[in-house]
Amino acid sequence: MEPLLAGLYALLDPHLLVLLFAATLGGVIIGALPGLNATTGAALLLPFTITMEPIPAIAILTTIYCAATFAGAITAILINTPGTSASATTCLDGFPLAQRGEAGRALGMATVSSTIGGIISVVCLMLAAPLMARMAYNFAPPEYFALTVFGISMLATIGDGTPMKNIIAGAIGIVLATVGKDLLTTVERFTFGFNELSEGIGFVPVMIGIFGISELLVQADRLNGEPKLIHMKAIKLPSRDDYRRVWKTILRSSGIGTFIGILPAEGATVASMIGYNEARRWSKTPEEFGKGSVEGIAGSEAANNSATGGAMVPTLALGIPGSPTAAVILAGLMVHGLQPGPTMFTQQAEFAYAIFWAMLLVNITFIFVGLFGAKLFARVTFVPVQILWPIVFCFSIVGAYALDQSMLDVYIALGAGVAGYFMRRFGYSVVPLAIGLILGGMLEKRLGQSLIMLDDQWWLMFTRPLSLLFFVLTILALFGPYVWRLFKQRDPLLSTGE
Amino acid sequence: MTRYVVPCGTILLCLIAYWLSTRFDEVPPILLRGMQPADFPQMVLLLIIALSVLVMVFDPPIEHAPIGLNAWTSMGLFAVFALLAQIDLFLGLGVFAGGLAYAWGERRIWGIGLVSVLSPALIFLLFDQAFRIRFPRGLLTDLWYG
Repeated sequence: MEPLLAGLYALLDPHLLVLLFAATLGGVIIGALPGLNATTGAALLLPFTITMEPIPAIAILTTIYCAATFAGAITAILINTPGTSASATTCLDGFPLAQRGEAGRALGMATVSSTIGGIISVVCLMLAAPLMARMAYNFAPPEYFALTVFGISMLATIGDGTPMKNIIAGAIGIVLATVGKDLLTTVERFTFGFNELSEGIGFVPVMIGIFGISELLVQADRLNGEPKLIHMKAIKLPSRDDYRRVWKTILRSSGIGTFIGILPAEGATVASMIGYNEARRWSKTPEEFGKGSVEGIAGSEAANNSATGGAMVPTLALGIPGSPTAAVILAGLMVHGLQPGPTMFTQQAEFAYAIFWAMLLVNITFIFVGLFGAKLFARVTFVPVQILWPIVFCFSIVGAYALDQSMLDVYIALGAGVAGYFMRRFGYSVVPLAIGLILGGMLEKRLGQSLIMLDDQWWLMFTRPLSLLFFVLTILALFGPYVWRLFKQRDPLLSTGE
Repeated sequence: MTRYVVPCGTILLCLIAYWLSTRFDEVPPILLRGMQPADFPQMVLLLIIALSVLVMVFDPPIEHAPIGLNAWTSMGLFAVFALLAQIDLFLGLGVFAGGLAYAWGERRIWGIGLVSVLSPALIFLLFDQAFRIRFPRGLLTDLWYG
């Protein structure tokens, strides 16, 4: 109880509250700007937080995460362009409803569902993260190694790439993490004589490159076509009838979103898809889906916002990112010298709870931002890309330089941007690369420690129940989808979805 | 075509990295605890090679639209930036930003001025004054640093 209150007290600093409100507005703008999303926004703003204390720094990043995820719905509804991929399913019903002249009702539903979903997930985060951390307290290096392998195996299912390409991208990230001095032997690897590489490749320039600069090149391919804004008079809170129709959907999607968020590497996009599908499956009027169903909006928005809280559970409790943006936040934690994991809730409990409170606060703020600012924020989408992206590039480059004040980092960001563009083009998602880079060092360290502990008899890892469980889960995560597809092909009932 | 070119390119890079890893210093066996420094990267590189072979064999080929002129121009401007940044980081940023805005269709003078002069200058002041970041000396930054 004491750390919970200490965290709240730390957050109640007026300067911090103003900063968080500004971060909420900034996050909403980022979510509404074309091509920018929560991950890119967090990566670009990470350098700004370097000089701050850990609580405001990480609270700002998590606020950006929540706010940008929420803001995706505004543009999804008003201009049929999801601000973030997590809001793609919101377009399906939000835009048709807006076209029918009910944009205010659609935005009201999205705002309320996002707020409730977000609050439920933060409450789950407050309860689950310390429990998970306590469970992990007894983990020895083999369990940690197996858990990290499991976290990396989940990369197979994220992003737009095929599972094999995702694993390749993740493995490239792991190889990049081996650059610099080996932790156990201090032998230099892949440094090519650059002293600056002795400490390894920095997370920040690579993230800025693969999320920010590569997006610039993606936008270059999409310069044509201007979205049209649907006019609305004012945002409308859901009526009693609407609430009666959607409360079950909101609760169900919040549960789904939180659970999906907790799974390592899965994020809001997957959550919103499953939340939307489940809303349609349980609905009494599934025929309305895709034509402007409020249940569809609620299902999608409650799920994607609740995934943000869920994703922070493994990030803080185990040091395994629950989503791409959580990976950037994890990088932020490491840059600030904080060690996520079980010790966070014993040695830095005030910090952890301050972050929880910050997330709760930002979710409550959505109601006001949604009610009073949606119309204005939708206009942000019309900032000309030829003005926006040169400025984003300047921020990216200066941000990449700022952390270590090294020009090498600028060139790393530039190289990562071009490489990220070609990876995306050839179907290799860049998200696994980022997560591989973050987890790679940890994976190698824990493998090394396990081998020392088990006297080089690596097979003994399979005799430890918990590590065996994680290895089994890894195999399921990697091969489960293929086995399921095989079953579906053999069973005509499953393949027709009846 | 890319079905084979991309995995082959990946395999080639991995083989080069593998060869480089064979040149890492080794810890004498008597002092060694755990793995040699090259073991882990080599293991991961072999995994990438194996998966790239599987991608070539099993993954369906993807149809791509050719890379557009705007993307090539932007990459060309990256090269210009990289060269100009040797003279001055902010000179590079200004030329890049103005060039990109023009290449993407901005023709208004105030628009090009905003991105090429005002925004790099404001970003410089923000990082210099608020975050106390010291930028590398160059043609323009010397005007500020003296």
